[in-house]
Amino acid sequence: MFDFDFNPEERVLTCFFKGRQDTVLSNQIAAELESKYEELTENEDKKALLDFSLVFDVKEVSFISSSFIRLCVAGKKRVKDGSFSIQNSDPFIKKTFKIAGLDEILNVL
Amino acid sequence: MAENLMDKANDILERAILAAAEFQEFDQEQTDKVVEAVYKAALNARIKLAKMAVEETGIGIWEDKVWKNVIGTQLVYENIKNEKTVGVISYDPVTGISEIAQPLGPIFAVTPVTNPTSTAIYKILICLKARNPIIISAHRNAARCTGEAARICYEAALEAGAPEDCVQMISAGSRDFTQTVMAHTRVALILATGGTGLVKAAYSSGNPAIGVGPGNVPVFIDESADIPFAISSIIRSKTFDNGTVCASEQSIIVEEKIALQVRDEFKRQNCRFLTPEEIKKVEAIAVVKESMSMSPFIVGQSVETIAQKAGITVPLGTKILLAELAGVGKDFPLSVEILAPILAFYTAKDYHSAIKLCIDLNYLGGIGHSAGIYANDEKRILEFSQLINAGRIVVNTPTSQGAVGGTFNMLPPSLTLGCGTGGKNITTENITVKHLINIQRVCRRKMNDKFFSIDRSKYMDENCNEADLRFEYHKNH
Repeated sequence: MFDFDFNPEERVLTCFFKGRQDTVLSNQIAAELESKYEELTENEDKKALLDFSLVFDVKEVSFISSSFIRLCVAGKKRVKDGSFSIQNSDPFIKKTFKIAGLDEILNVL
Repeated sequence: MAENLMDKANDILERAILAAAEFQEFDQEQTDKVVEAVYKAALNARIKLAKMAVEETGIGIWEDKVWKNVIGTQLVYENIKNEKTVGVISYDPVTGISEIAQPLGPIFAVTPVTNPTSTAIYKILICLKARNPIIISAHRNAARCTGEAARICYEAALEAGAPEDCVQMISAGSRDFTQTVMAHTRVALILATGGTGLVKAAYSSGNPAIGVGPGNVPVFIDESADIPFAISSIIRSKTFDNGTVCASEQSIIVEEKIALQVRDEFKRQNCRFLTPEEIKKVEAIAVVKESMSMSPFIVGQSVETIAQKAGITVPLGTKILLAELAGVGKDFPLSVEILAPILAFYTAKDYHSAIKLCIDLNYLGGIGHSAGIYANDEKRILEFSQLINAGRIVVNTPTSQGAVGGTFNMLPPSLTLGCGTGGKNITTENITVKHLINIQRVCRRKMNDKFFSIDRSKYMDENCNEADLRFEYHKNH
């Protein structure tokens, strides 16, 4: 449901999302993301805060639901030191995060 | 002390309420006669008042204040003079609805230091046109010139038969007194133009309020724009009265591909890009870092004065100081609203990045106010307009003059610009006389035949769903 790229040297997981991120899709993605987090973490406790940075790339995303925004907030909370960003947002997506008051917290670029 | 304040407020409001009572007996002709007299007297005093304002406040340029007075008198008058504001103002024979205009009652109007005479005259004109007495609270640093404007208007109004005390002025020396009057039960409406604190106080008073606050106007120059024209227009606007109009440009945003051309054009037209060291010096005098707000000491000052205060040297005749910034917010003090000839300048790598910067600037203290775009690509104009939260998006137009209306476009001329709910205002419109009347609707009996022809028993039948009821409502009888 999404592509990803893990840079082991810099320890950054970039997730590439596409199309309409509606509620149904976002809920499906949540489970997939969680298993990806657990697969990549070097921490023995797989539920612990992640020991890598997380980047959500929304270049190909045309719509985001509130569920997708929750997914981003969950991602931010899941990462140790809160190293999370959203990159390649188009102005309409940026405005959505702005209205939600989350653009700075989620580091929307 | 508190009792004394309340006694004073009671006295003012008692006078105002008597004026309101008499005023509501006026017909349209009597009302228009008063408004015309006030307009004439104020327009004739435009130069004297402009000079007084600059002398007293030390803010702005007297010639530009003359133009502001012309907007506040002649353009406002021409816009409202034919408006019906008394009695039946409309009747629609199809709906059978008549609209009747009623005055609101005493209006408490707060005027700013930046436009002390023009805003006072404009507010007096729109209040009197709606048959509302007005109580003006002038900024403490502009009490004399605002008082003189009010006096000229009041005397002309009285001469034309207006009720006694239809224009009153209180000294704004005491914040407590202003708040006491604002909260007085006999105030019908507060018309507040000023900073965030004032607007909040107005809305917290318990009385209805139209309060309009600050802006932080981003201006995007698109690659499709006529660049020399755009820069000339921006300069015309940002230098007008030394940048004191709240709709004046605050930031210029361009794409990388045209940045060099835009920079060169600014330089060619006598604007100066500050060095990083100079930016630090200007920041220190222009912005109060703790509150991230502009320093009152540089409001409406000339480039020369600002340069002198900052300890920098600029060539004689420099029109605007530009600061190239890499970001928005507390780390970049010059990204906030500054009512002086200082502009933030941003270069974005592409169109989307540029628009995203505009959104950030828009949300940095200027939501709902105004924004500008220079472009000849209608698609981009519309996209920009949908993305920016502004009551007015002015296109290929100086934002100071464009947002105020009446000159470069057909917006109603106004010195109080609504900022919508984003700016904690009730409207995004330019405030004018229509906002100062209560409209009663006389609704004559006009039966809804569809509703009265339906088989009502079907609505009580659990087996009838929406489709059945829709058919029932729309079927031909």
